[in-house]
Amino acid sequence: MSIPHLNDDELNLAVLGEDLPPEVAGHLAVCLDCRRRRDAFLAIVEMARGADPDETTRERVREGALAAWGATSSRHWVRWLAAAAAVIVLSLLPLLRGRAPAPQIINADAVMVEVDQMLDRDPLSAVATEEIVDTVVPVSAESGERSVS
Amino acid sequence: MASVARREPALRREGERELAEAARRGDRDAAETLLESHELLVFRTCGRLLPPGEDVEAAVQETLLRALRNLGRFSGQGSFAGWIAAIAVNLCRDRLRRKRLVPFLSLEARDENGTDPLAAVPSTEPNPERVAMARQAVSRLHGEVSRLPRRQQEVFALRFFAGLDLGDIATALGVDVGTVKTHLHRAVQRVRVVVEEARP
Repeated sequence: MSIPHLNDDELNLAVLGEDLPPEVAGHLAVCLDCRRRRDAFLAIVEMARGADPDETTRERVREGALAAWGATSSRHWVRWLAAAAAVIVLSLLPLLRGRAPAPQIINADAVMVEVDQMLDRDPLSAVATEEIVDTVVPVSAESGERSVS
Repeated sequence: MASVARREPALRREGERELAEAARRGDRDAAETLLESHELLVFRTCGRLLPPGEDVEAAVQETLLRALRNLGRFSGQGSFAGWIAAIAVNLCRDRLRRKRLVPFLSLEARDENGTDPLAAVPSTEPNPERVAMARQAVSRLHGEVSRLPRRQQEVFALRFFAGLDLGDIATALGVDVGTVKTHLHRAVQRVRVVVEEARP
Protein backbone atom coordinates (compact mmCIF):
# COMPACT_ATOMS: atom_id res chain seq x y z
CA MET A 1 0.00 0.00 0.00
CA SER A 2 1.49 3.38 -0.96
CA ILE A 3 0.94 6.39 1.30
CA PRO A 4 0.33 9.73 -0.45
CA HIS A 5 2.70 12.65 -0.03
CA LEU A 6 2.21 14.96 2.93
CA ASN A 7 -0.61 17.46 2.51
CA ASP A 8 -0.26 21.12 3.53
CA ASP A 9 -1.31 20.63 7.15
CA GLU A 10 1.01 17.67 7.59
CA LEU A 11 3.88 19.53 5.97
CA ASN A 12 3.29 22.49 8.27
CA LEU A 13 3.43 20.14 11.26
CA ALA A 14 6.66 18.66 9.92
CA VAL A 15 8.15 22.14 9.45
CA LEU A 16 7.23 23.05 13.01
CA GLY A 17 8.69 19.81 14.33
CA GLU A 18 5.42 18.70 15.82
CA ASP A 19 4.28 15.12 16.23
CA LEU A 20 2.91 13.49 13.08
CA PRO A 21 0.53 10.54 12.85
CA PRO A 22 2.59 7.33 12.65
CA GLU A 23 1.76 6.59 9.01
CA VAL A 24 2.64 10.15 7.99
CA ALA A 25 5.88 10.04 9.96
CA GLY A 26 6.64 6.71 8.28
CA HIS A 27 6.09 8.21 4.86
CA LEU A 28 8.27 11.22 5.64
CA ALA A 29 11.06 8.89 6.74
CA VAL A 30 11.22 7.25 3.31
CA CYS A 31 9.97 9.95 0.91
CA LEU A 32 12.77 12.08 -0.47
CA ASP A 33 10.38 14.59 -2.06
CA CYS A 34 8.54 15.35 1.18
CA ARG A 35 11.77 15.63 3.14
CA ARG A 36 13.17 18.00 0.51
CA ARG A 37 10.10 20.24 0.77
CA ARG A 38 10.41 20.41 4.55
CA ASP A 39 14.19 20.87 4.59
CA ALA A 40 14.17 23.45 1.81
CA PHE A 41 11.73 25.65 3.68
CA LEU A 42 13.75 25.39 6.89
CA ALA A 43 16.94 26.21 4.99
CA ILE A 44 15.37 29.34 3.50
CA VAL A 45 14.17 30.38 6.98
CA GLU A 46 17.67 29.86 8.33
CA MET A 47 19.11 32.07 5.60
CA ALA A 48 16.45 34.69 6.23
CA ARG A 49 17.36 34.80 9.91
CA GLY A 50 20.63 36.49 9.00
CA ALA A 51 23.86 36.66 10.92
CA ASP A 52 24.00 37.01 14.68
CA PRO A 53 25.92 39.93 16.17
CA ASP A 54 29.58 39.30 16.87
CA GLU A 55 30.91 38.80 20.37
CA THR A 56 32.27 42.35 20.58
CA THR A 57 28.87 43.85 19.86
CA ARG A 58 27.15 41.50 22.31
CA GLU A 59 29.64 42.35 25.03
CA ARG A 60 29.34 46.10 24.45
CA VAL A 61 25.55 46.01 24.66
CA ARG A 62 25.60 43.74 27.70
CA GLU A 63 28.14 45.88 29.54
CA GLY A 64 26.12 48.99 28.73
CA ALA A 65 23.03 47.48 30.29
CA LEU A 66 24.94 46.29 33.35
CA ALA A 67 26.58 49.69 33.82
CA ALA A 68 23.25 51.50 33.61
CA TRP A 69 21.74 49.00 36.03
CA GLY A 70 24.64 49.42 38.45
CA ALA A 71 24.32 53.19 38.34
CA THR A 72 20.63 52.93 39.06
CA SER A 73 21.28 50.59 41.97
CA SER A 74 23.86 52.99 43.41
CA ARG A 75 21.47 55.90 43.12
CA HIS A 76 18.88 53.84 44.91
CA TRP A 77 21.35 53.26 47.75
CA VAL A 78 22.17 56.93 47.98
CA ARG A 79 18.49 57.82 48.11
CA TRP A 80 17.81 55.26 50.81
CA LEU A 81 20.83 56.43 52.77
CA ALA A 82 19.75 60.08 52.58
CA ALA A 83 16.21 59.15 53.62
CA ALA A 84 17.50 57.10 56.57
CA ALA A 85 19.77 59.94 57.68
CA ALA A 86 16.89 62.40 57.53
CA VAL A 87 14.70 60.12 59.62
CA ILE A 88 17.43 59.71 62.24
CA VAL A 89 18.07 63.45 62.47
CA LEU A 90 14.37 64.22 62.77
CA SER A 91 13.89 61.60 65.47
CA LEU A 92 16.88 62.94 67.47
CA LEU A 93 15.90 66.58 67.17
CA PRO A 94 13.60 66.66 70.26
CA LEU A 95 16.33 65.04 72.36
CA LEU A 96 18.90 67.59 71.22
CA ARG A 97 16.52 70.41 72.05
CA GLY A 98 15.94 68.98 75.56
CA ARG A 99 19.64 69.19 76.36
CA ALA A 100 20.10 72.76 75.20
CA PRO A 101 20.22 75.48 77.96
CA ALA A 102 16.82 76.87 78.71
CA PRO A 103 16.33 80.40 77.48
CA GLN A 104 16.48 83.06 80.21
CA ILE A 105 13.12 84.58 80.85
CA ILE A 106 13.33 88.35 81.34
CA ASN A 107 10.98 89.97 83.81
CA ALA A 108 10.22 93.30 82.19
CA ASP A 109 8.65 94.74 85.36
CA ALA A 110 11.74 94.00 87.47
CA VAL A 111 13.97 95.59 84.86
CA MET A 112 11.84 98.72 84.83
CA VAL A 113 11.94 98.96 88.62
CA GLU A 114 15.72 98.67 88.56
CA VAL A 115 15.99 101.39 85.91
CA ASP A 116 13.72 103.71 87.87
CA GLN A 117 15.80 103.23 91.01
CA MET A 118 18.99 104.00 89.09
CA LEU A 119 17.51 107.17 87.64
CA ASP A 120 16.36 108.26 91.07
CA ARG A 121 19.83 107.85 92.49
CA ASP A 122 21.72 109.59 89.68
CA PRO A 123 20.12 110.39 86.34
CA LEU A 124 23.48 110.80 84.62
CA SER A 125 24.81 107.47 85.67
CA ALA A 126 21.97 105.90 83.79
CA VAL A 127 23.36 107.14 80.47
CA ALA A 128 27.12 107.24 81.12
CA THR A 129 29.78 105.58 83.20
CA GLU A 130 30.82 107.11 86.45
CA GLU A 131 34.27 108.06 85.08
CA ILE A 132 32.73 110.03 82.22
CA VAL A 133 30.29 111.72 84.57
CA ASP A 134 33.15 112.72 86.92
CA THR A 135 35.09 114.18 84.00
CA VAL A 136 32.22 116.16 82.62
CA VAL A 137 30.80 117.19 85.99
CA PRO A 138 33.60 117.24 88.61
CA VAL A 139 32.57 116.68 92.15
CA SER A 140 33.02 119.81 94.31
CA ALA A 141 35.45 119.21 97.16
CA GLU A 142 33.54 121.42 99.56
CA SER A 143 30.03 120.57 98.91
CA GLY A 144 30.64 117.10 97.80
CA GLU A 145 27.92 117.69 95.16
CA ARG A 146 28.07 117.77 91.44
CA SER A 147 27.46 121.12 89.90
CA VAL A 148 26.63 122.21 86.43
CA SER A 149 28.10 125.50 85.38
CA MET B 1 15.87 24.88 15.18
CA ALA B 2 17.11 24.55 18.70
CA SER B 3 15.86 27.00 21.26
CA VAL B 4 18.44 29.60 22.23
CA ALA B 5 17.66 29.02 25.88
CA ARG B 6 17.95 25.27 25.47
CA ARG B 7 21.49 25.69 24.20
CA GLU B 8 22.46 26.54 27.75
CA PRO B 9 21.79 23.32 29.63
CA ALA B 10 23.14 24.78 32.87
CA LEU B 11 20.37 27.34 32.89
CA ARG B 12 17.32 25.33 33.77
CA ARG B 13 14.34 26.83 35.49
CA GLU B 14 15.67 26.36 39.00
CA GLY B 15 19.03 27.77 38.05
CA GLU B 16 17.39 30.71 36.32
CA ARG B 17 15.30 31.47 39.37
CA GLU B 18 18.33 31.37 41.65
CA LEU B 19 20.35 33.54 39.30
CA ALA B 20 17.52 36.04 39.01
CA GLU B 21 17.19 36.17 42.79
CA ALA B 22 20.92 36.67 43.24
CA ALA B 23 20.97 39.37 40.58
CA ARG B 24 18.02 41.09 42.22
CA ARG B 25 20.08 41.30 45.41
CA GLY B 26 22.81 43.04 43.42
CA ASP B 27 25.03 40.14 42.38
CA ARG B 28 26.60 41.47 39.19
CA ASP B 29 28.04 38.10 38.12
CA ALA B 30 24.61 36.49 38.32
CA ALA B 31 23.13 39.32 36.29
CA GLU B 32 25.85 39.01 33.68
CA THR B 33 25.32 35.26 33.38
CA LEU B 34 21.60 35.76 32.86
CA LEU B 35 22.15 38.38 30.18
CA GLU B 36 24.86 36.43 28.43
CA SER B 37 22.57 33.42 28.14
CA HIS B 38 19.64 35.34 26.70
CA GLU B 39 21.03 38.33 24.82
CA LEU B 40 21.16 36.48 21.50
CA LEU B 41 17.46 35.75 21.78
CA VAL B 42 16.84 39.45 22.41
CA PHE B 43 19.05 40.46 19.48
CA ARG B 44 17.16 38.13 17.16
CA THR B 45 13.77 39.25 18.43
CA CYS B 46 14.44 42.99 18.22
CA GLY B 47 16.38 42.58 14.99
CA ARG B 48 13.40 40.98 13.31
CA LEU B 49 10.54 42.94 14.86
CA LEU B 50 11.97 46.40 14.33
CA PRO B 51 12.00 48.00 10.89
CA PRO B 52 15.17 49.11 9.11
CA GLY B 53 16.59 52.31 10.49
CA GLU B 54 15.72 51.45 14.07
CA ASP B 55 18.68 51.15 16.40
CA VAL B 56 18.57 47.46 17.22
CA GLU B 57 21.50 47.62 19.64
CA ALA B 58 19.80 50.38 21.63
CA ALA B 59 16.60 48.34 21.72
CA VAL B 60 18.46 45.27 22.92
CA GLN B 61 20.28 47.25 25.61
CA GLU B 62 17.03 48.80 26.78
CA THR B 63 15.42 45.36 26.91
CA LEU B 64 18.28 43.96 28.99
CA LEU B 65 18.15 46.95 31.32
CA ARG B 66 14.38 46.66 31.77
CA ALA B 67 14.84 42.99 32.57
CA LEU B 68 17.45 43.77 35.23
CA ARG B 69 15.35 46.51 36.79
CA ASN B 70 12.29 44.27 36.93
CA LEU B 71 13.90 41.06 38.14
CA GLY B 72 11.61 41.14 41.14
CA ARG B 73 8.69 40.52 38.80
CA PHE B 74 10.19 37.32 37.40
CA SER B 75 8.25 34.67 39.26
CA GLY B 76 10.14 31.70 37.86
CA GLN B 77 6.87 30.03 36.87
CA GLY B 78 7.81 30.23 33.22
CA SER B 79 11.20 30.32 31.58
CA PHE B 80 13.43 33.37 31.71
CA ALA B 81 13.60 33.21 27.90
CA GLY B 82 9.84 33.67 27.58
CA TRP B 83 9.87 36.43 30.21
CA ILE B 84 12.65 38.45 28.60
CA ALA B 85 11.18 37.87 25.13
CA ALA B 86 7.96 39.45 26.42
CA ILE B 87 9.94 42.55 27.42
CA ALA B 88 11.58 42.66 24.00
CA VAL B 89 8.27 42.27 22.15
CA ASN B 90 6.62 45.00 24.24
CA LEU B 91 9.54 47.35 23.71
CA CYS B 92 9.39 46.78 19.94
CA ARG B 93 5.64 47.36 19.95
CA ASP B 94 6.14 50.62 21.88
CA ARG B 95 8.72 51.86 19.41
CA LEU B 96 6.58 50.95 16.44
CA ARG B 97 3.53 52.55 18.00
CA ARG B 98 5.45 55.71 18.74
CA LYS B 99 6.50 55.95 15.12
CA ARG B 100 3.12 54.73 13.89
CA LEU B 101 4.78 51.96 11.97
CA VAL B 102 2.53 49.08 11.02
CA PRO B 103 4.77 46.49 9.39
CA PHE B 104 6.95 44.60 11.82
CA LEU B 105 9.30 42.79 9.54
CA SER B 106 11.28 44.55 6.92
CA LEU B 107 10.41 44.08 3.29
CA GLU B 108 14.12 44.14 2.83
CA ALA B 109 16.23 41.44 4.26
CA ARG B 110 18.89 42.56 6.71
CA ASP B 111 20.75 41.32 9.70
CA GLU B 112 21.68 42.91 13.02
CA ASN B 113 24.56 44.78 11.46
CA GLY B 114 22.28 46.34 8.89
CA THR B 115 23.82 44.36 6.08
CA ASP B 116 21.96 42.31 3.55
CA PRO B 117 21.90 38.65 4.69
CA LEU B 118 21.18 37.65 1.12
CA ALA B 119 24.77 38.50 0.50
CA ALA B 120 25.56 35.54 2.72
CA VAL B 121 24.08 33.24 0.10
CA PRO B 122 27.16 32.26 -1.86
CA SER B 123 27.17 33.81 -5.29
CA THR B 124 30.13 31.84 -6.56
CA GLU B 125 28.46 28.45 -6.43
CA PRO B 126 28.76 26.26 -9.51
CA ASN B 127 25.07 26.83 -10.20
CA PRO B 128 24.37 30.56 -10.07
CA GLU B 129 20.79 30.00 -11.14
CA ARG B 130 20.05 28.01 -7.99
CA VAL B 131 21.76 30.64 -5.89
CA ALA B 132 19.63 33.33 -7.47
CA MET B 133 16.52 31.29 -6.74
CA ALA B 134 17.56 30.85 -3.11
CA ARG B 135 18.08 34.59 -2.78
CA GLN B 136 14.70 35.18 -4.33
CA ALA B 137 13.11 32.70 -1.92
CA VAL B 138 14.62 34.53 1.06
CA SER B 139 13.40 37.83 -0.29
CA ARG B 140 9.92 36.41 -0.81
CA LEU B 141 9.90 35.05 2.71
CA HIS B 142 10.69 38.46 4.17
CA GLY B 143 8.09 40.07 1.99
CA GLU B 144 5.35 37.61 2.89
CA VAL B 145 6.14 37.70 6.61
CA SER B 146 5.92 41.48 6.56
CA ARG B 147 2.41 41.20 5.14
CA LEU B 148 1.19 38.82 7.85
CA PRO B 149 -1.12 40.10 10.59
CA ARG B 150 0.90 41.48 13.50
CA ARG B 151 0.35 38.55 15.85
CA GLN B 152 1.31 36.05 13.15
CA GLN B 153 4.46 38.05 12.46
CA GLU B 154 5.35 37.92 16.13
CA VAL B 155 4.89 34.17 16.52
CA PHE B 156 6.76 33.52 13.27
CA ALA B 157 9.69 35.71 14.32
CA LEU B 158 9.83 34.27 17.84
CA ARG B 159 9.65 30.70 16.55
CA PHE B 160 11.90 30.77 13.52
CA PHE B 161 14.23 33.71 14.12
CA ALA B 162 14.51 33.81 17.92
CA GLY B 163 14.17 30.05 18.24
CA LEU B 164 11.67 29.97 21.10
CA ASP B 165 9.50 26.94 21.73
CA LEU B 166 5.72 27.18 21.81
CA GLY B 167 5.51 27.53 25.59
CA ASP B 168 7.99 30.38 25.66
CA ILE B 169 6.21 32.14 22.80
CA ALA B 170 2.96 31.83 24.74
CA THR B 171 4.66 33.39 27.77
CA ALA B 172 6.18 36.14 25.67
CA LEU B 173 2.89 37.11 24.06
CA GLY B 174 0.67 36.48 27.06
CA VAL B 175 -1.53 33.93 25.27
CA ASP B 176 -2.06 30.19 25.57
CA VAL B 177 -0.15 27.61 23.59
CA GLY B 178 -3.22 26.75 21.49
CA THR B 179 -3.43 30.33 20.27
CA VAL B 180 0.27 30.30 19.42
CA LYS B 181 -0.20 27.09 17.40
CA THR B 182 -3.12 28.54 15.49
CA HIS B 183 -1.22 31.70 14.53
CA LEU B 184 1.91 29.75 13.71
CA HIS B 185 0.14 27.28 11.43
CA ARG B 186 -1.59 30.08 9.53
CA ALA B 187 1.68 31.98 9.19
CA VAL B 188 3.66 28.95 8.06
CA GLN B 189 1.00 28.00 5.54
CA ARG B 190 1.09 31.43 3.90
CA VAL B 191 4.84 31.84 3.96
CA ARG B 192 5.65 28.29 2.88
CA VAL B 193 3.47 28.46 -0.20
CA VAL B 194 5.11 31.70 -1.32
CA VAL B 195 8.61 30.40 -0.63
CA GLU B 196 7.98 27.12 -2.45
CA GLU B 197 7.07 29.04 -5.59
CA ALA B 198 10.55 30.51 -5.63
CA ARG B 199 12.70 27.80 -4.14
CA PRO B 200 15.32 26.04 -6.20
